[in-house]
Amino acid sequence: MIEYLFMLTAVLGAIFALMQRDLLKAAILTGISGASIAILYQYLLAPDVALTQAIVGAAIIPVFFALAVYKTRRMEE
Amino acid sequence: MNLLIPLMVIVPILCALFLNLLHKKDRTIKTIAIILALILPALPILANYGLHYFGGYAPLIENPTLSSNLPSLITGTALNTFHPAITYSFQGAQKIFIFILGLVGLLVVFTSLYETRRPSGVYGYMMFMGIAALTAILLTDDIFNLYVFFEIAALATVGIVLVSNVKGNYETALKYMILGSIAAPLLLLGIALLLGVTGNVNITDIIYSLKNGLVNPQNPVLLMACGLIVFGWLYGSGLPPFHTIKSAIYSKALPSGAALIQAFSVFTFIALGIIILRIFSYLPFSQWVILGVSLLAMILGITMAIVQTDIKRMIGYLAVGELGYIGIGLGLGTAFGITAGLFQAVNEAIITAFLFIGFGTVLYQTRISDTRKLGGMMARNPLVALLVLLAGFAMAGVPPLNAFQSKLMLIQASINAGFPELGVIMILLSIVTFMTFMKAFHAVFLRPKPADLELKNENIPKATIVALVVFLVVCLVFGLFPQVITSYLQPLATSLTGGIV
Amino acid sequence: MVIDVQIASLFTAVALIIIGIFAAAFLDNLIKKVIGLAFIGDGVNLFLIAMGYKPGGIVYIYLPGMAAEWFSQNAAYPLPFAMVLTSIVIGASTMAVMLGIIIVLYKKRESLSAKEILGE
Repeated sequence: MIEYLFMLTAVLGAIFALMQRDLLKAAILTGISGASIAILYQYLLAPDVALTQAIVGAAIIPVFFALAVYKTRRMEE
Repeated sequence: MNLLIPLMVIVPILCALFLNLLHKKDRTIKTIAIILALILPALPILANYGLHYFGGYAPLIENPTLSSNLPSLITGTALNTFHPAITYSFQGAQKIFIFILGLVGLLVVFTSLYETRRPSGVYGYMMFMGIAALTAILLTDDIFNLYVFFEIAALATVGIVLVSNVKGNYETALKYMILGSIAAPLLLLGIALLLGVTGNVNITDIIYSLKNGLVNPQNPVLLMACGLIVFGWLYGSGLPPFHTIKSAIYSKALPSGAALIQAFSVFTFIALGIIILRIFSYLPFSQWVILGVSLLAMILGITMAIVQTDIKRMIGYLAVGELGYIGIGLGLGTAFGITAGLFQAVNEAIITAFLFIGFGTVLYQTRISDTRKLGGMMARNPLVALLVLLAGFAMAGVPPLNAFQSKLMLIQASINAGFPELGVIMILLSIVTFMTFMKAFHAVFLRPKPADLELKNENIPKATIVALVVFLVVCLVFGLFPQVITSYLQPLATSLTGGIV
Repeated sequence: MVIDVQIASLFTAVALIIIGIFAAAFLDNLIKKVIGLAFIGDGVNLFLIAMGYKPGGIVYIYLPGMAAEWFSQNAAYPLPFAMVLTSIVIGASTMAVMLGIIIVLYKKRESLSAKEILGE
């Protein structure tokens, strides 16, 4: 049952990330979406992919975005 | 097992990786780079035809010792013939394509070594990486492997554009990547749908499943997969609606880089086009989609080339238009038409590279690519002007140069297939191509030199002239002996005509 | 009635792809565009994983003592999973290149607006 919850957080995380005006918040919300997808992979019988996605989707990609935001500007004009 | 087949991909990757390790020893790098680049066209000539299974995992049917111990659940079904590993298939057509790609790569590397005066660096790296990716795209029989190299080719293209220092290159590269990041996942989605229906990513196995009724070929999901793969194809080769961004990409790269990128586009077009024909040719409208898109590319590309004032942009649009000719050949669906289309692809890869490098000499001398500000280059270098003129003749299809033969074949094929209108359109557009080219040629070479035009570099490197002469010789040889090339392409074309249901 | 996990995941994947395409096409901020592109990649990956899933199946790891026939009937299909691993890495590296270009462009143009930079 809990997997439906993660599907919801994945989609909602994506929508909220794109609705933020603060780009740093958007970067962090990307991580939430990525992490829920990683957990979803675990439920879909793909533990090794879940591991990769947890690292890449929940840590590396948000860090990339955060660095890009740090090097540019935080607020969307 | 033919070891030269994987080497065709490995050698350029090794070139890319190791040439930069020798930084600062420019003379050594130059020699090694040229020797290694010479290997690129030599490998496909030396290699024997065959299949290469990575890791040695041949289909069970070819491996009796292993299959004798397995239950009939596996050996008694289609699993017996399926390919468990990534398979590279090297046949006559691939031989020609990879040879041409290697030749264009060799000459481009050769010119760029002498024009940029920076033998090691990101530029060379990106060029060799792109060549490796395109070779793999042409060889692979595994559609996911194709997607991976498709992405690498796109990244290499972006890399070539980024190092060029032309104004506005970053903007164009970013736009190209954003479009690519939409199109490539959609291509992957198409592959995923194919995988979901057939359970396979090997193209031969997918076709086997469709042909032998293991899956229902009328499944609507396959239709959607076809649409998504076609979308990736449009992006990869720069057909409409991506023709504007593709020609912008050509114009923001250095001339040598543009010559290579257009070869990438042509061979992506061919590789994915062949796959679409192999898998989906039974869908009744697939032929019409290919024909329609090609016609649109031809008309849009060539008419938009007329109004361009930037030389590289103009050749870029002409290159897109010429892709349309190839597509017409593939879309006709007859063996003769497909042979003509493939032959046109081979010719176009050479001629457009020829034109880019030829006009590149003007850019090298003046750093200006705007035709309104150029003029009088003929007096400086009559030989280069003559070579560029011949390149333009070749593109327009003047005998005895190579595109004449392939365009003639295309027109005959379209008449044989019952579409004489296409033949008429092709002839008209050839004339327009010629006119567009002559307009640019007149503006750059013939008309008197504007007073404010100053030359940055006096002399064109010998290497560039050698490269241009080699291109001309290849054009002449292909034009005089077309049957040599078509005999290699014929088997592939015949195998594509069948349709499967 | 609850729809089954596989179908629900496929719908989630499609939703992510649509959100991503919407963001890439209509949002003006370049970093937002790239975030949208990341969601397209995630969506396609989820789609592939959902394709390999087997309802009520087991993880595709062959442990000693399993009957081969039972395993082959119950294990999930591992081919898409292997593909997704590659695809995740490709997606991440493409993203890094794009963000790099955006940073360079910001230094030049002092703006993150797609209208201003890409001229659409």
